Parts: sequence; structure tokens; C-alpha cells
Amino acid sequence: MRIPWVWIVLPLAVCSGCRAVADVGRPASSIWFDERAHDSGLTFVHANGMSGRFYFHEIMGPGAALIDYDNDGDLDVFLVQGKGESRLYRNDLAVQPDGSRTLRFTDVTTQSGIRTTGYGMGVATGDFDNDGCVDLYLTNFGRNQLYRNNCDGTFSDVTGRSGTAGSGWSVSAAFVDYDRDGWLDLFVGHYVSYSVEKNTPCFSLSGRPDYCSPNAYRPEQNRLYHNNHDGTFTDVTTTAGLAGNFGPTLGVVADDFDGDGWVDLYVANDGRENQLWINQHDGTFRNAGLLSGTAVTVDARATGSMGVDAADVDGDGADDVLVTTLTGEGTSLFLRRGPAAFDDAGTRSGIRALSLGSTGFGVHTLDADNDGLLDVLSVNGAVRTIEALALTGDTFPFSERGQLLHNAGGGRFEDVSERAGPAFTLSDVGRGAAFGDIDNDGDTDVVVAGNNGPVRLLINEAGNRKHWVGLRLLTSVRKRDAIGAHVEIIRQGLPALVRRAATDGSYASASDPRVLAGLGDNSTPPSVRVTWPDGRVERWPDVPIDRYTTLEEGTGR
Amino acid sequence: MVAVCASVAIGCSFKTPAAAPPLRPIVMPDLSSVAESVRDQARARESALTRAMASPQATAPDRAAAYGEFGKLLLAAEYGDAAETCFGNAELLAPDDMRWPYYHGHAYRRKAQPAKAEAAFERALARQPGNLAAMYWLGETRLDQGRTDAAASVFEQALAIDPRSTSILSGLGRVDLARKDYASAAARFEQALAIDPGATFIHYPLAMAYRGLGNLAKAEAELRQPRAAATSPADPLMQDVARLLDSAMAYQSRGIDALRRNDAASAAAFFRRATELDPSSASLHHRLGTALFLSGDASGATREFEEALRLSPQLARAHYSLGVILASRRQNAAAIEQFTAALRTEPDYLEARLALADVLRGVGRARDAVPHYEEILHRHPEVADAELGYAMSLVILGRREEARARFLAGARQHPDRPEFADALSHLSTGSDTR
Repeated sequence: MRIPWVWIVLPLAVCSGCRAVADVGRPASSIWFDERAHDSGLTFVHANGMSGRFYFHEIMGPGAALIDYDNDGDLDVFLVQGKGESRLYRNDLAVQPDGSRTLRFTDVTTQSGIRTTGYGMGVATGDFDNDGCVDLYLTNFGRNQLYRNNCDGTFSDVTGRSGTAGSGWSVSAAFVDYDRDGWLDLFVGHYVSYSVEKNTPCFSLSGRPDYCSPNAYRPEQNRLYHNNHDGTFTDVTTTAGLAGNFGPTLGVVADDFDGDGWVDLYVANDGRENQLWINQHDGTFRNAGLLSGTAVTVDARATGSMGVDAADVDGDGADDVLVTTLTGEGTSLFLRRGPAAFDDAGTRSGIRALSLGSTGFGVHTLDADNDGLLDVLSVNGAVRTIEALALTGDTFPFSERGQLLHNAGGGRFEDVSERAGPAFTLSDVGRGAAFGDIDNDGDTDVVVAGNNGPVRLLINEAGNRKHWVGLRLLTSVRKRDAIGAHVEIIRQGLPALVRRAATDGSYASASDPRVLAGLGDNSTPPSVRVTWPDGRVERWPDVPIDRYTTLEEGTGR
Repeated sequence: MVAVCASVAIGCSFKTPAAAPPLRPIVMPDLSSVAESVRDQARARESALTRAMASPQATAPDRAAAYGEFGKLLLAAEYGDAAETCFGNAELLAPDDMRWPYYHGHAYRRKAQPAKAEAAFERALARQPGNLAAMYWLGETRLDQGRTDAAASVFEQALAIDPRSTSILSGLGRVDLARKDYASAAARFEQALAIDPGATFIHYPLAMAYRGLGNLAKAEAELRQPRAAATSPADPLMQDVARLLDSAMAYQSRGIDALRRNDAASAAAFFRRATELDPSSASLHHRLGTALFLSGDASGATREFEEALRLSPQLARAHYSLGVILASRRQNAAAIEQFTAALRTEPDYLEARLALADVLRGVGRARDAVPHYEEILHRHPEVADAELGYAMSLVILGRREEARARFLAGARQHPDRPEFADALSHLSTGSDTR
């Protein structure tokens, strides 16, 4: 069978004096990240409900989201639960007159109205109804849930009416305005066709029971939902051309990979070829994965692809692709060399060799030290028993340390995990990771969602020792975050920094939509050129540094 | 496995020459949950090691061999830490034997420690210069670390020894790709394919080289070729490890590899042994059935699919496979039952739905077939067989103009499928298109 992103600059109140805070509030420290989850009130512990029978879904979650659900200017935290209810924590950040700050989270799940009903996997964020309040889409092992933000601190479950429940098993999802109509559509990545009833016992080569690889099950079809502008969505998977070609999807990132101004989709598949779905401007997509050079490794191996990110890693103005993979495969770095054409630079950059020893999940390119170069932070955790841990009597022997790879310039990376702080000596079964400036001090912090363990909150202590520029980009329509906008930060005498406003990527997680760019020791206010998702281009000169600035579409030059 | 640890500790008390560093104790993995057959293998090799270490007659190379054989088993069983210790000890005991640093290198690769692997392969080559497998893996390990010049150096040396090695040519081509020397890369890969057109793992990197040269047409042509994963040169030492483990999963793995080589008979033998070791695995019986069917033994395949369904009544792929055999025997009602059962468990099982539709059409139930074809084409409009079957069903139902439109559309969408044009021709002449 042959089936074969006015010049009206609006400083956010919470951020004034952020630079002073860095100087006054905290002594210089040699560490990069400090772990403060428990101290700040993030007491969440993920429970995977493991049965001892190695049910496949136990090992794959969870994700996390950084979401300013109450529009108070700081990032709140949503944490996905497996067996039990997911939780929403309000960020009660207090900034003192001297710039020092106290980070405190309060569990507001009950008053928020969020009652998760499924075995949670991941979360995506986006203001799908253009009301200026960000909404939540929860992926599950089972039926998914869409929560509309009522703009009053509460959410309503609108899954049924929206038509986005789906079925099966989905992990990562992304809100994306693929047809440039000003309304966020929704891509949902599905994993494999699996149920406890259909569980197939899997074993290591020596016959020891272990978790299955995705090859034990058939992949499930991904879904693309078109936003009908009325609170409902239409499943357009087939008409978009996505129905006939899918793998066990774990990661997704939406970006313009061919430079035509239309957003494309990069889909990371576990053990199958990754896909690069190029937007054809007519509601359809064409998979250019293989020809793009991002589907497999240079020796034609499909990797166990998990987390993914798109960013201008090499500073050439075009976004590149980063994909975390299994132990022994190494993280893939695909550098863009032309429209939808990439070179496999994992080896040349050193990233592959530095990551060979871990199974990477959540990943993000962040400028951890604000030196203007994007670094890479990944959270790791095995999917098969780690014998050395089993020997110690570890009943869940899958934990690994996270990794911080510093961009040393010249296209090379170095592993700085050992000196990045005690946070990187913690060993967890890392899965999701959400990235954003949680304490609004001008550097990128991280929420790490571990499987069957406590959440971690990695507070960046290094970044704001350097100058930075922070931008919130709002669309002209109803002032929602301009997901998909690109920003050029034009520095005097230096190459421009290109950054993307996005919440997608990583693994099963949603990050800060704001753009935060490190400026190093350069204190000259840069000019900013924004390319908005609808293709419009605007420019703002002399944007203030060391604070956040809100740029509204239609108010630039 | 306390006994194993204790006995190996005895081995470690063995006195090495005064200048040599002491042997390291093996931290044994917990083998309590592995297959009994593998535990037996481990006990046997542990005993052999204990005997060798205790025997006054045993020479240092004998003891090295005992460590090495134990290490090979541990490597095969994916216990990289313990294997690495064994090979390290073997190296200390027999510093002239190439095998132990070679296996040591593979153990380090398994532990994702490329720098240590590189050093081990270098030691192996110092003991046996010109060993192609060791040269290949040394090159690969250097490529892993981004050291293209060093990788190229060893690959070039290897090519001088065997100019027809597709694996070595592929290694050099990948070095050229990393250096963005696309012309040279293309030449290497073309040479490799000329030598062995069956080296299908070359097509993808060759496509990347053509793309780098700006020749997208040639790149796309290569991407349309079948692809397999890269292979290493002939490697008797690692083949020995690959054949070592006596477990159902190991035999399953060998069976899958055999199927990838289109060697169904060997695959059947491996899957047979796997089912002997784990008779309760429905999946293994299904694999055995598949290999038997591909070998031409439909009766044996039927027995295995039925056994798989006895063990796991919801195993959709077993229902499907059994249905295929039944359909080939014109036992259409039974085939329809099996395909329907497969779809009951997995409604998105494309192959099963297409098979069901085809059988329904074949028995004159075109009206029942049509919804299945429509379901397939709704989700997978690219499936030519569904388009063809749908149009033929429309003919049967007397909806000839709709059928003609589908055949025309199919001929345009699938120019490689002459059946559409043939069917159109038959439709025009009024002959039977079914």
C-alpha cells in the first residue's frame, strides 16, 4: 500500500530605578542564579502518580507558565499538575523605595476559578479574544482545557464552546496568528496514541522494565485551530495541510523562518523527523523540514527531539533553531543561512558535545549575563532509568542537573553550570521551563517544572550588573501582547540585536512575552525598530535603558 | 548481587606490577529486575572473572580477557559505568591488547564522554595501527567535539587504507559540510554512492551539499530517495557485543535490524527466540508474525497474530495484520471483522481504514466503503490509494461524472500513478474500471 512589533514611551511604574536596585539592593555576587521557590511561596510539588508499571504518560510532564494574568505588571506563575490540580500563584512582588524587592507568591487557584480536570501535561498562553487579558490553554493526557481570562482575576472554562478540547495526548501548544488577521490561532502538538488500557510493557535490552520509547505507539495527529473572532475556533488541520504528515510531537515554536513576514511552525518530534511548516499565505503550510536542514542530524538521524526555541543565536539578524534531545545525541543548533535554510552547527558551536551527557527538555536562549550575546539554559531529566541513581536506591532514578551554556562569542559556547550557582547543583527530573523577568529587575529568571518533584525558581543575580533594555509590545487592536513581533535594538557602533516577542517554545511551557535585551556596558539609549505581526514596521529612537518601556503599535515612526 | 560485588572485589585485590596503577572495583548494577537469562549470563562471566583472578596459573592477559568479556556483557546490557571499569582494568592487565581500549572507547561513548572516548580509541590505534573501525570511531568522536581538522586527519588516513569505504567517505563529507566546503562534500558523497548505491544514509548529507551549492533541484531529488541511518565500517568487535545479550528485547532489537536489511528470515529467527524468552509479549508475537508473513509463511504468521490477540485483544496492529492475511485469502467477512476491530481501538489507524474500505468495495459494498474513503481523504488528501478506491466506488455506485472528476484530480495530483489515467480511459470507453 502506497501510503505511504508614538513615540509615546510608557515606563512601567514597577520598573523605575531597576538599575539602581541592582547596585544598591544586592551585593555583587559571583553566582548567576539563586534558587528561591520555597522561600517565595512557590511550594508546588508535581505528582506524576507513578504506579510502578511505567505508564508512559507519567514520565512526560509537566510544563509551567509565566503569565501576568492580573495585568499588574509582574509575572504570575501557573504550574501544571499531573495527578491532582494545577495551581495559579499570584506574584505579590514588593519593590521598596530603595529599589530592593521582596518576591512572594500566593496560591490563588481557588479564587481564580481554574479547576483543572485532566492529567496535566503543558500550558500555552495568549489573549485569544483580544480583550487585553491573557488566557490559558492547558494540554492534557486526555481532553484539553481553554480558560478565558475574565479580566477580573478570574477565569472561565470555555473549552466546550471554543471547540479546542481535542482528545488523545498533547504536550506543547502555541498561540500563533498564522493568517495575520489580528487574532491568535492555536497549534496543538500531539504525542502518541496511548492510553493506560493500551499500555505496552517496555523493557531495556537486558529485560528490566522501563518506560517506553515513542516508537512503541503510533503518533497522534497535531491540530491547528483557526480563531473565528467570536470565542470559537475551527479545526483547520486538514485544510492547512497538516493532517497527513505528523510525528510524536513534543515541542513547537512559531516564527518567520523564511523571512517572508508570515509566521511558520517548527515542530520537534520525538524519534521522528522534525518538521518546518512554511506558511503559504493562504491558510496552508508546506513541510520544508528536510530541505531546510532542520529535520534530522547531518548524518540523517532523527533525534529524540523534546524542547525547542527560536532566536538569533549567532547575531546575524535571523532566528536560529535550538532543539534538546536524548542523552548521547546532544542539543541541535540549526543556524539560519537563508530563507528556510539552516546549517547544523551543534557540533561547531560546541553545544552538542556539551550536552551529550543529558536528556534535555525545557530550553531557552536567554542573555543570562546581559552581555548582548544569547546563552542557552536547558533543564534535563532522563526518560530511561539511570543506573548510577538506581544503585543508590533512588526510586525515581531519572534526575539530572540543568545546564547553562554561556555564549563565549565567535560562535562557541562554554558550560558555566559549575559556577552558575547552587541552583545548578540540584538534580531534578527536569521537564518544562518558563523564562521571564519575574522580579522585574532586568534579567531573565526561570521557573523549572520537574517531574514528580518540587518546582524550582531560579532568580538571576547576574544579568542586571549590565545595562539592558526591556520592551512590552502591544498591538493596536485591544492592546494585547504582540506575539510574533520582531525587534531590532540598534546600538551605536555595534551590530543590532534582533529579538522576538513570544511565549512559545521550551517544553510544554509559556514564557514572558516581553523582550529583554542585554546591552553590556553600553549605556547609550538604543533606537528600536519593531516589525509587527501584521508586517507594519515602526521605529522609536532613544529608548530608555535599564527599565521597561511599553511600545504600542501605531505610535512609532 | 552482593556475591558478584564481593567476588569482583576479590579480583580487585589482584596484585598488579609495582609500577601499574591498581585495578578499580566494579560497582555492579542492580540486576535483580533484568531477564533471568541475562542474570545467568552475568553470573557466568562473574564466575569466570573470579576464577581467573583467583587462579595462580592465570596470566595477566587471561585476567584481562575475563574483565573484558564481563565488560562486553555489561556494555551490551547498557551498563556503561560498570563496563567502563571492566575495560579499564582489562587495559591495565593487558596493555598491548587493542580490544580493551577499543571497547573502553565505546563504553565512554555510551557514557557520553567524547574526550575520554577519543583518548581510548587513540590508545587502541597505537596498539593496532590501521584498524579501520577504530579509525572511524576516532574520527566520529572528534567530530562530536567539533574538531573537524583532527577528524579529517584520521578519516584521510583511513581512506588511504580503504578507498572504497562508504562510511569513511561519509565521515569526510560531513567534515566538508561542517567546513561549508559543499563542492568537496558533494564529491565525497557522490563517490560513496557510486561505490555502494545501497548506502542510502548518504542521500541526506548529499542533499545538504547540493543545497549548499545552490542546486535545490538536485537536493530535492536526493531527499526523495529512501534513507537509512548511517552505518560504521565492518566492526567484528562491536558485532560481537551486539550478538551477546540473551534477552527477549535484545533479540527483538536484532530482529528489527534484520527487517531494516530486508532479511525477513533472520528477523523471524530472532523474533522466534525473543518469544521463547518472553512468551507473554503480544508485541513480540506480532513482530514474529510480520517477519513470517514477509518470509512467505502466511500460516505461521496467522498463528502468531492470533496468539498476539489472545494475549492482547486490543492490539490494533495485530487485528490489522491478521485482516491483511484474511483478505489475501479472500476471507473477506473475517477480514472486515479484523479491520473493524483495529479501528475500534485506534480510529485514526489509516492503513486499517483503507484496507477496510478496499475490502468493502471488493465485495460490492461500495456504499459502505465510501464513508471510509471520505474519512481518509478528509484527513489525508495525499493518499493516492484512497483517491483511487473512492473514485472506483463512485463508478460502482453509478456516480460516473463524480468518479471522472476524481480520476482526473488523482491523475493531476499523482502523476506517478498511471492507474488514474487507465481508469479514465476505461471510463471513457465504458469498460469495467473496477
